[in-house]
Amino acid sequence: MSAPATKTYRRTPFKRWCDENTGLFFLIPWILGFLIFKAYPFASSLFYSFTDMNFFKGISQYGIMNYVEIFTNRKTVSSLLTTVKYAFMTVPLKLVFALFIAYILNFKIKFVNLFRTVYYIPSILGGSVAIAVLWRALFKDTGVVNTILGIFGIAGPDWLADKGWALFVICLLRVWQFGSAMVLFLAALKGVPADLYEAATIDGASKTRQFFSITVPMITPVIFYNLVTQIAQAFQEFNGPYIITQGGPRNATTLVSLLVYNYAFKVNEMGMACALAWVMFVAVALLTIIAFSSQKHWVYYAD
Amino acid sequence: MKKAISLALAGAMTATLLAGCGGAASSSAATSEAASTAESTAASTEEATASEAHEINTTDPIELTISWWGGDSRHEAYQKALEAFQAKYPNIKVSATYGAWSGWEEAQSTALAANQGADVMQVNWNWLYQYSPTGEKFVDLRDYSDVIDLTQWTDAAKDACIVADSLQAVPISMTGRIFYWNMNTFKEAGIEEVPTTYDDLIAAGKAFQEKLGDDYYPLAIGQYDRMILMTFYLESKYGKAWVENNECQYTEEEIVDGLNFIQSLEDNHVIPTRPSMIAAGFDSIDKSQEWIDGKYAGIFEWDSSANKYQGALADNSGFTVGEEIKFGDKANGGFSKVSMGMAITTSCQHPVEAAALIDFLWNGEGAAIMGSECGIPASAAGLAAAQAADAVKPLVLEANTKVLAFVDMPLDPYFESSKLKDTTDGVYTDVFDGYSYGEYTAEEAAEILLDGVSEVLAAV
Repeated sequence: MSAPATKTYRRTPFKRWCDENTGLFFLIPWILGFLIFKAYPFASSLFYSFTDMNFFKGISQYGIMNYVEIFTNRKTVSSLLTTVKYAFMTVPLKLVFALFIAYILNFKIKFVNLFRTVYYIPSILGGSVAIAVLWRALFKDTGVVNTILGIFGIAGPDWLADKGWALFVICLLRVWQFGSAMVLFLAALKGVPADLYEAATIDGASKTRQFFSITVPMITPVIFYNLVTQIAQAFQEFNGPYIITQGGPRNATTLVSLLVYNYAFKVNEMGMACALAWVMFVAVALLTIIAFSSQKHWVYYAD
Repeated sequence: MKKAISLALAGAMTATLLAGCGGAASSSAATSEAASTAESTAASTEEATASEAHEINTTDPIELTISWWGGDSRHEAYQKALEAFQAKYPNIKVSATYGAWSGWEEAQSTALAANQGADVMQVNWNWLYQYSPTGEKFVDLRDYSDVIDLTQWTDAAKDACIVADSLQAVPISMTGRIFYWNMNTFKEAGIEEVPTTYDDLIAAGKAFQEKLGDDYYPLAIGQYDRMILMTFYLESKYGKAWVENNECQYTEEEIVDGLNFIQSLEDNHVIPTRPSMIAAGFDSIDKSQEWIDGKYAGIFEWDSSANKYQGALADNSGFTVGEEIKFGDKANGGFSKVSMGMAITTSCQHPVEAAALIDFLWNGEGAAIMGSECGIPASAAGLAAAQAADAVKPLVLEANTKVLAFVDMPLDPYFESSKLKDTTDGVYTDVFDGYSYGEYTAEEAAEILLDGVSEVLAAV
């Protein structure tokens, strides 16, 4: 008895193309969104960076004058340096602080979930008027910090008026908002195999030795991830100086993103704003590349 | 089946996204429609001017938008006035956008650049020059003179709002700077009379320091206030306007004299230094604990700001409108200006009804509700209506009267250019903060100021 004949269909080339590229249809919404809302503004900002585009006067000049201005103007150079200084102060402080708190919250202590929540709250507050009021109340000349210092006989500085301290005050705001980095560290700490600690304890390693020889190497992928994301965030910082110091005193906290805002929306020089944004983009990209190329020397991937 | 559903969903998402883009497309279509409407409006208004033929639509549903900045009391007044307008014209719905001044100009200038400004816009005087120098952003209100009674404003007031041969706004009020004193603190320092001379100021500074302590000052002024006070001083001493014929009329040496005048106020404890004001961590003087508690006992402010500062004081019984101080003998010095105006954007699709709204707010029943919330009304009919309704605050009226009777110099509209005036990044801030911080000598500060002003004027 012969097997029943099965009917076979030949696919047309169009049908075959459709079958092979079905995924493309699913991607269309994202591709359109990306092209319209990301790629086009990205490309147009590069174009405008080579013009003297003004909201109300249009374009009258093309060239590299904005880039020349950025690297020769006292204000923009100072802003670039301040941003670098801010990033180098904030990122290490934030990572160390987040890791420290995560390490403590990794112990079995009472109400640990409550503590984790409480420590995460500042991260979701972001930049708001309430935060500005709080920070100023803390750091004004007669504020809470100086009052506390006064109890110990220490005359606190003029935090908001002193150029060095004002930047530190802005850094502290971002360091205070360490919640997201802390959560990632916490997850990484929980992933460190307990048997490594048991073996180290049997071998007589102290807690400090265990931390630096086991914990830190095992969580280097998360440290690396946090480092890269925090660098990118630090270079884009806007809220802190905008809401607390408005870039003052004497432009000591005018980070590049604030300067971009000032150029774009206060004096309507969009060409200059775009050029500054591109300088910042290239700087962050370079730092990210350096970080990625350095990871083979210090990041440990178990697999 | 699953694939079909997925494809359908992806198609729907795409359609939604395109619809979103379509919104932009349709909005640009609407913009071009608005532009063509504006064009046709402009064309038709020429006829209208001749025939006075505008008629307010009282039957078809119309939606207008309006924007303003200010404090809570101004917001409340506007809202009440708009309710009254909508009661008078039930077919017109007015949607409002409002907020505090901080960040307002940035938002509004961006909206104007994109032709997305509100139909009726409360504008700062310099916006007309800065954002609509060729008249492309605001309609010529003379085209609607049959709807807005323009005869209620003086020619001088209207002339200040004519840019590119177009009456781009009507002045809401005229304003100028004057001193206000908290006489309770002055009395604590043993001073019974308000300061009326430079010597009085210096004497007050010493008395405050000796009798009340280092934290007490007879006057507190920010960086822009310093610029205005210096201008008052220079104009009075040298008898010439700060800027005329698009040129700064002062030499570096004269500006150094002005800066030294400001420095003398700091040195004699009349005003706090800028670092000490920044260290106190406040946005504006009226929100500072020092003002609220009376440690700062004087301000040099717009006449329309009296109530704001009076209301902020913990004990406001001593709040007094001071006298203008004449610092030289060549002129009184100082200036008044259009404090703000009311304009119709060219993207407005119902300019006739927008004009009716302006007339209602500043000439008609609305003026009685608005009172002196935006300063003393510049419209004669508006002022009469506000006074009849007892809505003009005596303090504001007193200050305004004193200012307008005193000042005798014109003000260049670019004096308030954001490149100069901006409190974070402007030239005035750089000059007066840098000088007070000791980073600039008077000569350096004068040079920076002169260069900054010249640059702005050259770009006109």
